[in-house]
Amino acid sequence: MNQKSEFSVEGLRDYNRCGPVRWIISHCLEHKLYLFVGLFGFALTYIAFSGARVMFGRGAELIIEGGDAQAVIAVSLAVLILSVSDGLFALLGSMVMVILSTRVERDSRHELYASLLGKSQTFHDQQRVGDIMARATDDVRQLNFVIHPGIMFIFDMFLGFAVPMIYIAAINLELLLAPVIFVICYVFVVRRYMRRLEPVMMQQRMQYGTLSARLEETISGIEIVKVAAQEIEERKKFKRNAWKYRDFFVQQGKIEAAYLPLLMFGIAFGFFFLHCLNLYSRGILSIGDIIAVAGLMQVISFPVFISLFSISMIQLGIAGARRILELIEQRADIDENLAGHGAAVVGAIEFDHVTFKFHGSTVLEDVSFTVEPGQTVAIVGQTGSGKSTLTQLVSRTYDVDEGRVLIDGVDVRDWNLDRLRSQMGKIEQDIFLFSRSIADNIAFGVQNATAEEIENAAKEAQAHDFIMSFNDGYESEIGERGVTLSGGQRQRLALARAFLRQPRILILDDSTSAIDSATEDEIQKAMRRAQEGRTTILITHRLSQIRWADRIIVLENGRAIANGSHEELLRSSEHYRRIFARYGAVESPIGQLAAGGGA
Amino acid sequence: MGFIMDGLDAEEYDRIYSDWALVKRILGYFKSHLWKMLVVGAVVFLSSVMDLILPVVVSQALDQLQFSPEAFDPIGTSIILGVAASAGWVANMIRQWLSAEAVGDVTLDLREDAFNAVTERDMSFYDQYPTGKVVSRVLSDTQAFSETVRLSINLMSRLLLVVLLIIYLFTVNVNMTWVLMAIIPFIVYTALKFRTVARRTVTNSRRQLATVNAHIQESISGIGVAKAFRREQMIYDEFKTVNQESYEVEKINGFVFGSIFPILVTIAGLGVAAVVWFGINMAQQGILTAGEWFLFIQGMGMIWFPLTSISSFWSQFQLGLAAGERVFALIDAEALVKQNADDPVDQLEGEIEFVNMDFHYNEGEQVLKDFSLRIRPGETLALVGHTGSGKSSIAKLISRFYEFQQGALLIDGVDIRYFNLSSYRSQLGVVTQTPFLFDGTVMDNIRYGKPEASDEEVIEVAHQVGRGDWLASLQEGLETQVGERGNNLSMGQRQLVAIARVLLQDPAIFILDEATASVDPLTETLIQEGLDTLLGDRTSIVIAHRLSTIQHADRIIVLELGEIIESGSHDSLMAAGGHYATLYDSYFRHQSLEYIERMAG
Repeated sequence: MNQKSEFSVEGLRDYNRCGPVRWIISHCLEHKLYLFVGLFGFALTYIAFSGARVMFGRGAELIIEGGDAQAVIAVSLAVLILSVSDGLFALLGSMVMVILSTRVERDSRHELYASLLGKSQTFHDQQRVGDIMARATDDVRQLNFVIHPGIMFIFDMFLGFAVPMIYIAAINLELLLAPVIFVICYVFVVRRYMRRLEPVMMQQRMQYGTLSARLEETISGIEIVKVAAQEIEERKKFKRNAWKYRDFFVQQGKIEAAYLPLLMFGIAFGFFFLHCLNLYSRGILSIGDIIAVAGLMQVISFPVFISLFSISMIQLGIAGARRILELIEQRADIDENLAGHGAAVVGAIEFDHVTFKFHGSTVLEDVSFTVEPGQTVAIVGQTGSGKSTLTQLVSRTYDVDEGRVLIDGVDVRDWNLDRLRSQMGKIEQDIFLFSRSIADNIAFGVQNATAEEIENAAKEAQAHDFIMSFNDGYESEIGERGVTLSGGQRQRLALARAFLRQPRILILDDSTSAIDSATEDEIQKAMRRAQEGRTTILITHRLSQIRWADRIIVLENGRAIANGSHEELLRSSEHYRRIFARYGAVESPIGQLAAGGGA
Repeated sequence: MGFIMDGLDAEEYDRIYSDWALVKRILGYFKSHLWKMLVVGAVVFLSSVMDLILPVVVSQALDQLQFSPEAFDPIGTSIILGVAASAGWVANMIRQWLSAEAVGDVTLDLREDAFNAVTERDMSFYDQYPTGKVVSRVLSDTQAFSETVRLSINLMSRLLLVVLLIIYLFTVNVNMTWVLMAIIPFIVYTALKFRTVARRTVTNSRRQLATVNAHIQESISGIGVAKAFRREQMIYDEFKTVNQESYEVEKINGFVFGSIFPILVTIAGLGVAAVVWFGINMAQQGILTAGEWFLFIQGMGMIWFPLTSISSFWSQFQLGLAAGERVFALIDAEALVKQNADDPVDQLEGEIEFVNMDFHYNEGEQVLKDFSLRIRPGETLALVGHTGSGKSSIAKLISRFYEFQQGALLIDGVDIRYFNLSSYRSQLGVVTQTPFLFDGTVMDNIRYGKPEASDEEVIEVAHQVGRGDWLASLQEGLETQVGERGNNLSMGQRQLVAIARVLLQDPAIFILDEATASVDPLTETLIQEGLDTLLGDRTSIVIAHRLSTIQHADRIIVLELGEIIESGSHDSLMAAGGHYATLYDSYFRHQSLEYIERMAG
């Protein structure tokens, strides 16, 4: 892979990504043998199938001109053998194509997944999970259909036209006239048909996506819909979307209804038959020959019929492939930098005139500060002032636009990404736990953690007691099928997860969700223990935590407007005083003093 | 081959309709398309006849050629062939054209009815049924249903062709027709047998696919964590295993589906061989002509495929009916919240009174028992208590999201059951802890409850919340896209938008359910300042974990297991030293400066 990636996989093949069709072909070419055997199987199918038609001609001759019982048995037996081998070769071809198509499905899903893992957080922030899911599931499944029966359609096109035409030519070359003209027109008309159908199918599919997304949104937000009395409005919206979908559906139906090749074939057959009769009257063809070539001509109708169905399949598949490719081809912004700096982290952090923009708007502007190893820094500021982003620059989830972020004096961009991130621990605001056991969740950050280590980490995070209160203890499953955890419990599990990793730098993006004081005390204890001996960056609204940080940075609209200890800030920052004022005002004379000072 | 469809899991509101009732109801939807359906019937017949004419004309031509070549008109015959093919094609086009319109319209009607029914359900319905399942009923089941209708029309034309063909063949030669028909049971048997096998492998493959999807879903949702902990390799290895397993299962499934067609071709081939052998023998005895013999061979080719579809039709039809049944069950599901009247509501004063109310969500889990509470117009009431004490239930009952079992709820002295809910709720403003935003701009979201509001009004309201400081932190101010469910905004920002949304609505009754839980202290201070003035003359019910919010309330109610155990102002309750004082100590103490100083020390 020559594009940047946060994660790379060994042994993954390079596929041609110049376009959806080439991409599909390059996937198929990985399994050349199957492709070849499949083609071979279908060729034999058509040879046997058409051969049986020729035998019908022989049979007719036996009827008209008479023949002995042996000849009758010979013809019947030939028909039997040809018909049965027709079926058996089709079976072979079909099985091989099934293997090919499921392999391509597997491989492309694999390719997509590996590429998703390699994308940076910037990419993932921009994508809807639902959208990625649709591509990884539905679109990948469509690819399967492109090959089986999609590629079979291409085989049908070639073989279903070529093989009977060779037979016809063998009987009488002149008779090729009608079928050749038909095939030429057919190719032309089908291309036009595909070009008409494709945009409609695409729009229809997109509209279905919109319809479904809107519906899901309305139902998820039904409480708001009801309380704001917007049911009528929502119904109108739904109806509008459903109408659009209906229009595309009908449009597709109309385009399909007017599938011209079927008409063309009917007319071509009329001419073909006339041609046969003409040759008969000139004594060139026998009635048996006419029966043989009429049968052969009908073989040609099969790919024409089946194409009506296969073309849609192929188009859906190519559209799906295009969407998958779009996703794979999106650039990852951050490289894993395998050759980068890989020392043990001591824990000094420095922001050197850092500016960071997201979607073109400035999130952080000219932020500078330093943190000594082992210090705890609290970052305070209004909602949306850039606190979380600041921590994400430390873990190099994003890259800065200007300035530098240094860890132990080395720019994070020069660090080996793996070494850098593996020495950091982070507890994010929305704690994400995987649907697996509690033990697995705690051990998520490290390989081969022992049960004892896991338990110790849980004890340190004050999580052991509540874990043991579950029936299955550490083996309790989290999620839909397992236990439901409260916000405080999730937080402590995340802490345990961080403890087990013994990170040098700990980032706590604290959620302010309500926790009662008893739990609060325990979490405080756990947190304070967590901070011992390591550099900690703390985003918090809890005054108790702000109060005992070594250093406090106050952010406002992306700028660090104050920086210092609690005492310093109480003296120097009006902003900071206001926060404490509100809380202290009611009962604390200190607070009232501060409030008075701030006014 | 789409005829293997798994039924979705049954839900509690599902009901059994008689087949007749279902069919009648489905036909009802087609009523407005009556003439279209009549035309479809006519053209289906026409195209079947045309399809039949082709082989018959060829066969008769061959016989004429053999026995009376002098009377044969080759050009006339070819023209007949061309015209029959064209007429058949046109009939087919009309059929598809009209049925696409009719099916499209019926699906649309059905979807609309289903969606309207969904919006009428009360909250207990949504608690019980996950969004995905409801979405699937409104979209997928209606889709499955319309597919079945389309398929039925399609199959009808094929069936007609088979019947016409067989009738014609009987007039040609009875014995040969029996030879031809001898193959029918084998084809039907194989097709039915195949269904049984396919049903099993499809179930397996779906299950496996669901596993792969679940894995992808989770790893993408949790990608941030995986990256932070550098565990990409681990989840990648897991994915590889799951993906490979899916491949194995999918392959078997593909084998089953890929084999049916070749197997039926083989069986039909045996039939053709039989027709050839019997036919030549009969022809040599002079019972059959060469042309007729050829017609029987072609007849075999014409019936085996439709037969395959027809043999699986009944079950498809039943699945279609089942899909219809699920949609109708959704439409007919009865709401638990029942209104006795539909009186429009004038400007409310905001008096709320619970009279001896009993309420539970689930049988046997009583939430409120003989609960009485009167909230005066304009009063700010704070509800405190542990999780499960019934705080949020009280708020939800006022919103009339749930039906209570005993007692009454009076708003301005009128039973809530007499209100037109839409006009009542438009005077209610609710902000929850995790507010839901719709994909769109901040402006759109604030305007949600009052679509007719002007930009100026929205801007004014937005600036009232927290003095408008929060707007500066939005990249494009009010034009910022909030993303799916508001994901582009922080939880705190979402709460601010929700508060603005309610302020614009200018309700008579405010309900703030942990409305500012995720906002930082400074912003909260600002919001509180804004709210204080607004709450002043309106009835408001505040549920909060923030000490500062509660302290400003006119009255604090302490709830425990659905009962009011204390009531009064902050000072009087603290002085009394009862439950509130204890609760204060365990819930709110850590928010006080005193506690902070102690911890810091």
